[in-house]
Amino acid sequence: MKKKLGLIITLLVLTLVGCGSNVGASDVHSVDDLEGKKIGVQIGTVGDTYASDYEGDEAGTVVERYSKGNDAISSLKNGKVDCVIIDEQPAKEFIKRNSDLSILDEEFTLEEYAIVIAKGNDSLEEDVNKALAELIADGTLDMIIDHYITDGEVEGLAYTSPEGLDYANGELVMATNAAFPPYEYYANNSIVGIDAEMARAIADKLNKKLVIEDMEFDSIITAVQGGKADLGVAGMTITEDRLKNINFSDPYTTSKQVIIVRNGESGAVASIKDSIYQCFIEDNRYQYLVQGLWNTILISLIAVLIGVVIGFFVAVVRATHDKTGNLKLLNALCHVYLTIIRGTPAMIQLLIIYYVIFASTNISKVAVAALAFGINSGAYVAEILRGGIMSLDQGQFEGARSLGLTHGQTMRYIILPQTFKNTLPALANEFIVLIKETAISGYIGLQDLTMAGNIIRSNTYQAFLPLITVAVVYLIIVMFLSAGVQKLEKNLKKNERHVYD
Amino acid sequence: MTKECIIKVENMTKSFGTDVVLKDINTEIYKGDIIAIIGPSGCGKSTFIRTLNLLEQPTAGAIYVHDVDITHKKADINKIRQKVGMVFQHFNLFPNLTILDNITLAPVKTGQMSQEEAEKKAMELLERVGLIDKARAYPDTLSGGQKQRIAIVRALAMNPEILLFDEPTSALDPEMVGEVLSLMKDLAKDGMTMVVVTHEMGFAREVANRVMFFDEQIIKEEGTPEEVFDNPKSERLQNFLSCIK
Repeated sequence: MKKKLGLIITLLVLTLVGCGSNVGASDVHSVDDLEGKKIGVQIGTVGDTYASDYEGDEAGTVVERYSKGNDAISSLKNGKVDCVIIDEQPAKEFIKRNSDLSILDEEFTLEEYAIVIAKGNDSLEEDVNKALAELIADGTLDMIIDHYITDGEVEGLAYTSPEGLDYANGELVMATNAAFPPYEYYANNSIVGIDAEMARAIADKLNKKLVIEDMEFDSIITAVQGGKADLGVAGMTITEDRLKNINFSDPYTTSKQVIIVRNGESGAVASIKDSIYQCFIEDNRYQYLVQGLWNTILISLIAVLIGVVIGFFVAVVRATHDKTGNLKLLNALCHVYLTIIRGTPAMIQLLIIYYVIFASTNISKVAVAALAFGINSGAYVAEILRGGIMSLDQGQFEGARSLGLTHGQTMRYIILPQTFKNTLPALANEFIVLIKETAISGYIGLQDLTMAGNIIRSNTYQAFLPLITVAVVYLIIVMFLSAGVQKLEKNLKKNERHVYD
Repeated sequence: MTKECIIKVENMTKSFGTDVVLKDINTEIYKGDIIAIIGPSGCGKSTFIRTLNLLEQPTAGAIYVHDVDITHKKADINKIRQKVGMVFQHFNLFPNLTILDNITLAPVKTGQMSQEEAEKKAMELLERVGLIDKARAYPDTLSGGQKQRIAIVRALAMNPEILLFDEPTSALDPEMVGEVLSLMKDLAKDGMTMVVVTHEMGFAREVANRVMFFDEQIIKEEGTPEEVFDNPKSERLQNFLSCIK
């Protein structure tokens, strides 16, 4: 295994050295040039709406929709799109960090940012508007905005909570998409920015403790509607379409859409050393990976346990029904479970469990993910085990039953131990699939290993190192698991040695 | 002298779907009986013996073990099976357990004996069949003859009142048949009640006190070994015996 790992790492370093090509300037100089080009946007934003007007025209304009602004920028740098339409302030942040990008001197109409609140939550809307008015009146909001919109580096926080607050009114949950500097982004392992600090100031006024939930931009409105979050604060422009589903507070700032293009300058090609520094050392970014790895392992472990328990139960029910004809009702229920779980994508199940079943419950995301993956895995484990039970010699059942053992005792002492041993390779395979499947946890804003890589990717605009690192970590986990299973298999096989022919 | 009746079969019929295997069988098995069941393949003799501990559910009729009708829904079949031991053609030892655990599992789990009692009993029985050195071995390291002797020991460990043998030597290599048959003869000498489905006519003639010839879904002929083997009445039995010789 050490040899294998060494080989993989050598290969990676070689690929890394071979990387770093440059793409020429974009052929977009004004709005009129957009036709027939590839436009990158963040999904669900106003920029998306603008770009969509061009989509499908005769010139063959293509709109590429990304879940994060940073991903759109990365694609622009790589030449995958010709320009990106995005809000002005994030755009300024992006070009500040990427000398090969520029903003075109074209301006779209002015728009207003406001806080998203669920329809019918009038008391909260009233409270938020009151707090917002106070923050505007006493200059706090301007102070926060000035702190983040600056030509230099942003250091520290703008707003400090007054001392002695008791948060007597509980928590105020804010949904956001933390890849939108300077409004919300990750720095030093926490989410900061104009929206984050303003929301904290509002929460302080309401005597509530602010909790920030990071999620996909297009999930924010759903989360607020469903009660997963109280507020959506994500540089969200007031639009007619959004007003159909959700209420907005009074606006707190204005913005406009701009077009970012490649200016033809070669971006600073980072050396490997710089890349590694940026990706892991700077801002303690390695901590995202540590936290993500921990969450991935935690989710996988709990999910495997849940999956095995469900799997054993369902397999025993189904096999008992197949063998004896008893347990008709339970068998029918298990059948429904298997059909639904195996017939729908795991990601949809995860979203349904988080946004629908636990919609109004405040439950930890790790628990939700572990439950969702456990329920999902249980179906596959059940069928693997049932196959194992049914393929055992009927004589094993008869031998045990003829001695007066009950069906349950027969299962427990004779059938299941043999089934477990026989199906171990298939079970190990299922667990490997499960571990990798947890990579979709990011869809409920859970910071697992994959999400950690994405955060680093969006902060550093580097795709290669974060992605490869995450891939290698998954690989190592799976290799360890495989080695463990192999050892277990060997131990279980000990009593199979044939002395006679 | 009236003998104690252990199993009584009354008008028992068994069919698989539309295929009738046994038709209206009536018989009684008494304590101390050693019954050999012979017949051409497919005659239902294995099915018959398997109904006696309800591994096959009769389609109609009743089977009484002592005075309990085991085909009745309310009958505690697990309790009854503890007293009706069975030995299979393919041994059906549990490969995941050692020989000792194979033998002690049922007496302990059914609450008949403590672990120590069961182990003591198992060791005595293993001693008797000459396999005490295999106590800690796993079944797959044994020869067929050894496996079948262990399977018999496993059934004996439950202190059954009657032992059912379903072609116990049919899956054995010829040189191993003898060791199993001689163990069965020993049991017979000790007075164990046995029902044996077998193709070993020598064994049937020598050991059994009753021989049943199954054919055409019924017990076609029954009698002492002399009656059945030396004076077969029906043509079917005569043909069957001449084929075997």
